[in-house]
Amino acid sequence: MQVQSMHFKRNASAKLNDAVLQRNMQKAKGKFVDGRAKAVSEVENWEAIRTHAAALRDQCLANLDAYLLEFEANATRHGAVVHWAETAAEACDIIVKIAKENGVAKATKSKSMVSEEVNLNERLEAAGIQPIETDLGEYILQLAGEPPSHIVAPAVHKSKEQVADLFVAAHGKPRLTDIPAMTREARDALRDHFLTADMGISGANFIIAETGTTLTVTNEGNADMVTTVPRIHCVITGVEKVIPTLEDFATLIRLLPRSAVGQTIANYLTLTTGTKMPGDQDGPEQMHIVLVDAGRTKFVGTDMQDMLRCIRCGACMNHCPVYQNVGGHAYGWVYPGPMGSILTPTYVGIENAGDLPNAATFCGECQVVCPVKIPLPDLMRKLRERQHDMRLRPWSERIPMAMWAFAAKRAGLYAFLSKWGARVGSWLGGRDRLIHSLPGIDGWTQGRDMPAPEGRTFRELYVQRRDKQ
Amino acid sequence: MSARENILARIRRQQGRSGPTTAEEMALVRANIREHGVGPKPLAAQAEDSLELFKRECQRLLTTFAEVDEATVPHEVARYCAEANIAKSLAGWREYSHLHWPAAGIDYAARAANKDDTVGFTGCFCAIAETGTLLLLSSPDQPKLNALLPETHICVVPKARIVPTMEDAFALVRTEVGEPPRSMFFVSGPSRTADIEQTIVIGAHGPYRVHVILI
Amino acid sequence: MKVGLFVTCLVDLARPSIGFATLKLLQDAGCEVIYPDTQTCCGQPGYNSGAREVSRELALKVLKEFRDCDYVVAPSGSCTGQIKVHYPNDLFRGAPEQRDFEALAAKTFELSDFLINVLNVQTVPGKFEGAVTYHDSCSGLRELSVKMQPRYLLQMAGAEIAEMADCEKCCGFGGTFSIKLGEISTRMAENKCANIRSSGASTIVGGDLGCLLNIEGRLRREGDMTTQVKHFAEIAAGDLSSLDGSERNANTNEHG
Ligand code: SF4
Repeated sequence: MQVQSMHFKRNASAKLNDAVLQRNMQKAKGKFVDGRAKAVSEVENWEAIRTHAAALRDQCLANLDAYLLEFEANATRHGAVVHWAETAAEACDIIVKIAKENGVAKATKSKSMVSEEVNLNERLEAAGIQPIETDLGEYILQLAGEPPSHIVAPAVHKSKEQVADLFVAAHGKPRLTDIPAMTREARDALRDHFLTADMGISGANFIIAETGTTLTVTNEGNADMVTTVPRIHCVITGVEKVIPTLEDFATLIRLLPRSAVGQTIANYLTLTTGTKMPGDQDGPEQMHIVLVDAGRTKFVGTDMQDMLRCIRCGACMNHCPVYQNVGGHAYGWVYPGPMGSILTPTYVGIENAGDLPNAATFCGECQVVCPVKIPLPDLMRKLRERQHDMRLRPWSERIPMAMWAFAAKRAGLYAFLSKWGARVGSWLGGRDRLIHSLPGIDGWTQGRDMPAPEGRTFRELYVQRRDKQ
Repeated sequence: MSARENILARIRRQQGRSGPTTAEEMALVRANIREHGVGPKPLAAQAEDSLELFKRECQRLLTTFAEVDEATVPHEVARYCAEANIAKSLAGWREYSHLHWPAAGIDYAARAANKDDTVGFTGCFCAIAETGTLLLLSSPDQPKLNALLPETHICVVPKARIVPTMEDAFALVRTEVGEPPRSMFFVSGPSRTADIEQTIVIGAHGPYRVHVILI
Repeated sequence: MKVGLFVTCLVDLARPSIGFATLKLLQDAGCEVIYPDTQTCCGQPGYNSGAREVSRELALKVLKEFRDCDYVVAPSGSCTGQIKVHYPNDLFRGAPEQRDFEALAAKTFELSDFLINVLNVQTVPGKFEGAVTYHDSCSGLRELSVKMQPRYLLQMAGAEIAEMADCEKCCGFGGTFSIKLGEISTRMAENKCANIRSSGASTIVGGDLGCLLNIEGRLRREGDMTTQVKHFAEIAAGDLSSLDGSERNANTNEHG
C-alpha cells in the first residue's frame, strides 16, 4: 500500500466532511467499545492476565534472535521452509518465486496485514498470479480496489449499500441488501476459489518457537480453508510475532478476541505445524514461512521496543477519539489509530508521517485498553521528541514553542508577559467576552471561540491582596 | 550476507550483543520453553464443573448439544437432521463408521468431506469447557474438512474428554500425542462474520450449524 | 499543614477566579496555603511537544518552589498528572533527582482528590441548586483515578448530577493538539457539546480549565450563550467576595 501519511491533515479533513463515512463510523463505534467492555468485565482477573501477557511478550523480545532461531529449527524439522525478508520487496520476491516455480495460477488469501504492508497482491498480479482475498471484508475491498481502514474489520468504513453495489458489479446477480443474504452470495462466489487455488497465503497471529507452529485466528473459517486445501501454504508474518510456547498462546488468546470484538474466543483457531503427513487426506505438500523485518527491528533494543508487544487486536483504534472521527484511511497506510501512529513513522520514516504522532490528545484510552499494556501515548511522545530534536515540525509551531520555553523559565519575564497577555486577551474579548478569531491560534478559532481571560492574572491579584493584608 | 544473517545481526547489535547467538543463549531459551509456564486463568474457568461450563459456553456460541449414550448417536443424528430439515447423509470420520447408521436411516460415508456434502461428522481430540471449544487434531482418518466444508457440522464429544482450559488441552496433546500434528484445529461454534456493518451473521465460509453430541 | 498552591498557567492567565476558589476551599478546610509567586508552568506544553529539555528545567523549578510544602495541590488533573506521573516516571527516571521527584509526586494532589481523600471534607461553602453535568478530563481520570471526588464536592454544594453520555470521552482539547489539529479537535468538542445538551443540565462542570475553555468555546460558537461552564472549585467554593475583595473588577465573575 502506498504511503499517504504525509497528507494526514488534509485527508482527515476530507473524512470529517464525508457524511457517508461519518454515518458508517458511528454505527460501528458502539459495537466494538461496548462489546469489549462487557467481555472484559466477565473476567475478574483481567489485569493479571494482561500483566502476564505483557511480560511474556517482553521476554521473547529480549531474546528475539534466539526465539526466532528456535522457531526456525522446529518449523524446519516439521517440513516447513523458513525464509527471511529484510524488506517489503524481498518478501514479495520470495513468494512470487515460490509461486512461479510451482506453476501457481491462483492464490487464495486470508487476511494478512503484513501482505498489505508489502503490497503483495500487486506483485502477484504483476507476475500473472491471481490473488483472491477470502476474508469477507478484504474481499469487499479487493472488489472496491481500496486498502483496509481497520486491522480487524477492514471494511468497517463501508455501508451495506456500498457493498451491495460492489456485489452487483462483481457477481452480476440481483442486488441484495439483506446482510445474511449478501454474506451467502459472497460465500458461494468464493467456494470454488477455495477448492481450485494452487496456493494459500495466510498471515500468522503468532508463531510458536517450541513447536515451529504458525497460527491464524478467524471467525469466518476462510483461513482454515486457505491453510488446508491448496497444495502450497505460504505464511507471511513479522519477525516480532514469535512467542515461546503453546501455553503462552493460551494466555494471549484470552485477550485477543475479547479486546478486538468482545468475543470470549474466535470461532476458529488453526495451529499448523509443517506439511501434510503420510496418509493425511488434507493439508499442503509444501509449507513456506516468510519472516518479514521491513522496519520491525528498528524498535528492538530501543526505548520504543514495547511497541513490538502488539498483538494487533485493534482495541486502541476502536477507542481512539481521533480514529472514531476520521476513520482509518486518513492515516494513510496499513496501520491506523494509535498503534499506526507509532508503527507508520517508524517503518516508513518520520518525515513521511510527521502528523501521526501528533494526532492524539493523549487522552490515554488506548493505553488503558491495550491488552499487552503498550504505553502508546508515551511512545507517540517519544516520536514527538525525535521530531523536536530533528527540527521536523513547521516553524509556525517551533517559534511559539521556543518563545514559551524561554519565558516559562524566567519568572519575572513570565509575570510581565502574562500580565499583559491577560489584559490584551480581555480587551480582545469585547462585550461578549469571546475572542472570535486570533491569528496564530486559528486552528482553534476556526471552529471555536476563545473565552476571554478575566483581565488580571492570579499572580497579580494574589500578590496585591497579600500586600494589603 | 543473507537477509537472515542481517536481521539476526541487527537484533543483536541493537540489544548490545555482539557475535552470533550463543549456545548459552539458546540453552536459556530452550529451558524457558521447557518450563511451559502457565499464566493466570479466568476464575470462572476453574470454579465451575467442566461439563456445565462447557454446555453454557456452547449456548453462547450458538452451538447446540444433546446428551445420549454412544449406541444412540445415530438416532440423535437422525432426530437432529429431521428437525433441521437436512438430508440424512453424512461424510464422517472412520472411527464412528461402526455405529448402526442404517438402522437410523442414515447414509454414513467414511471419508473426507467434499463440496457437495451437506453434513460433516467428526469426533474430537478433546473439548475445552472455558470457551465451549472443540479441538480436532489432523490425522489420516480425521480429515479437518469435515468440520469446515459442509453447512452442518456434527461432533461427538465424550464427556470424559472435556478439560477445563486450553492449557489442559495442550498438556493432553503432549502426553497422548507427543509432537503436535500438522493441524490443531480449535472450533468454537458455527462460523460467523461481522464484516458488513459490524452485523453478526452466522455462516460465513464454514458451517452454519454446529451440533455437539455429548456421550 | 502547609499546602502549596500550584495554580496552573492557564488559571493564572485566564481564570484567576478558579485559583481563588481553590484557595478558599483549602483555607476553609484548615490548610495554611502557600503560593510561591515565581511559579509559571508545569512544563506540559513543552513535554507533549517533544521539548524534553525545557520540561525538565521547569520540573526542577517546580521542585524547588514547593520544597518546603507538606502538600502540593493543583486545580487540574493534567498538571497534577505531569508532576505526579511524568516527572518521576519519565523525565527523571534513573536520574539522580528521581528520589526527589518521587517525594514530590507523593505529596502532590489534584484538588478534589486532596479534599476528599486526604482532608476528608464533609461540607463545602458553596451552594448550588439544580442539575449539572460533569465532564471527566482524561488525565485526572486515567492517570489519577479522579472520578467520584469532584462529584462528591458538587453534591455537597447541593448540585444534582445529570450524567451525560460518554462523559469520559476526550473533549478534544489535548493542549497544543487543539491548535495543531484544530479541525479534528473541533469535531471532538462538537460531539461533547451534543452530549452536554442531551444531558438536560444547564451547567457543565469539569476539573481542567483547558477542557472547559474548549467546551465553552465550542458551545458559544454554536450559538449557545446560556449553558454555564464551570470548574468544580467555583461551585464548591461559592461566593469569593470575602476572599479577593474589591480589587477584582466586577465583571470578572461572569465568564460562564
Ligand atoms: S497496540 Fe495494543 S490495543 Fe493497539 S492493536 Fe496493538 S495490542 Fe491492540
